[in-house]
Amino acid sequence: MSLCLRSKYLRPNLISSLFRYSTSVEAVEQNDQVLVEDEDAMAREAEIERKRNVSRLSEAHWNLVNGRRPYVEPKNWSHLTVKYNRKMYGKYGSASGVNPSLCFPSQKEIQEKMEYEAVAYPFTIKQMMETAAKNRKEQQEKILQRDSDIAAKYAKLDQWKKELLDKIAKKTAEANAAKEKKERLVEEVRRHFGFKLDPRDERFQEMLAKREKEQKKLEKQARKEAKEKVMLAKLQQKNVEISDTKNK
Amino acid sequence: MGSRQITEKSLSMLRSLPRISLGNIRNNPKSKQSSKRGRGQHGGDKHGAGNKGSGQRQNYMRLGYETGNNPFYLRVPQEHYYRGHHLRREYPPLSLHQLQTIIDTDRLDITKPIDIASIIKSGLYKFFPDQKQFGVQLTDEGADFFAAKINIEVQWASEQVIAAIEKNGGVITTAYYDPHSLMLLKNPKKFFESGQAIPRRMIPPPDAIEYYTSAETRGYLADPEEISKERLKLAQKYGYSLPNIENEPNYNMLNERKDPRQIFYGLEPGWVINLKEKCILKPKDQELLQFYST
Repeated sequence: MSLCLRSKYLRPNLISSLFRYSTSVEAVEQNDQVLVEDEDAMAREAEIERKRNVSRLSEAHWNLVNGRRPYVEPKNWSHLTVKYNRKMYGKYGSASGVNPSLCFPSQKEIQEKMEYEAVAYPFTIKQMMETAAKNRKEQQEKILQRDSDIAAKYAKLDQWKKELLDKIAKKTAEANAAKEKKERLVEEVRRHFGFKLDPRDERFQEMLAKREKEQKKLEKQARKEAKEKVMLAKLQQKNVEISDTKNK
Repeated sequence: MGSRQITEKSLSMLRSLPRISLGNIRNNPKSKQSSKRGRGQHGGDKHGAGNKGSGQRQNYMRLGYETGNNPFYLRVPQEHYYRGHHLRREYPPLSLHQLQTIIDTDRLDITKPIDIASIIKSGLYKFFPDQKQFGVQLTDEGADFFAAKINIEVQWASEQVIAAIEKNGGVITTAYYDPHSLMLLKNPKKFFESGQAIPRRMIPPPDAIEYYTSAETRGYLADPEEISKERLKLAQKYGYSLPNIENEPNYNMLNERKDPRQIFYGLEPGWVINLKEKCILKPKDQELLQFYST
């Protein structure tokens, strides 16, 4: 049954496929009589053009191919927008039927643009130049400051070097003196015993302590004497001064 | 109304009501009982948090953490010279050698001022303003044999390039264009077909203002007198005699510059260009004129 049905439907399809332009042909046939009656050359020309059009393109595409705007009537909400209408004017000129004044921005658009620019470009060229010059100057000053700092430090470098070397030399000299002193003491203790004694030995340690004590005592006395000498010299000087003033 | 009528009416009402069928009866209460009793608020389900993993436990890891792996963002060594690359302006290079080639093969008209639009139109310069490219950078390759006398406007040029062009009696200007203007310059036809009025060129950003206002770089916002001084200075530095362009026959061409707000040579902001009818529509409205003149 279904097969039978299909064959029924198939037949008109086949016919239409044989006469590929059946719809347009029918329309032309209907209009033919009108043409004959009217004998209008323009209409005839149009009819011929229509007959020649075997492209099977849709009207919009046919218009596009022939350099006309595709739709005269809007087919979509987007065809009502200002952007689309501007585009139509830009592409097809006044033939598009769009009022060219639409191409210029409206008052609202100008307001929005100015608002945007006020935010996006907050500074004028002059202001930017001034800030750039200021920044450049600051950077330069920073570099100069650093240079002068380094120069001042460099001038003192030799002195500082000398001071450091002196300090190191003094330290080493002191360390050497202390070492020598110690060695001398040990040697003396050894000589006292007359034989090689282990420095960790108790007797050795005792002797060493004693020697050190003696040494310290001597040093103390020497210092005391030196101090006294200085004091005496000072006193003598003072006496001399006093006598001088008296004489005067 | 008799009781018979009532019966008739109620019967007809009953007839019009839907019949009971398998499609509109529900199960007997408690006929479907699960053998398990789920615990918790939603009968022991996962509370919409999925099954297994971070999702279920809702312990979302911090961005970039790879559960103990050496994360990708730390695996790659840091390269600080790329810092801020997404904000930097790029000026794709065009060497003087290439420019000479374009001129020699007659793809540039040197009887008119050259700008980025004409360089792009030659077809030998690839340029994508949407990829943060801000125009032509003229490089000094081929500076020794560059021999054209031109009035060129580029977006970036080195001292050697400026010297090479001025030595031949040419004129060079460095000018800034915002990305939108560059779009227009890249494909003017597309813009004109959109039926919009030509916009104004925007001012350079603060970090480029020094370059475009200094006479040493021949900035388009620099004082012309300063520029002529710098021309002389550069000639002395590089040891060539500066040709006097005032006596040139094409002095007018060499002296032509764009307005800082202008995008195309010969076309002012606010104009609508119609290519189909080959006409220019100029605004007359005072507000528009004022807007486009600022």
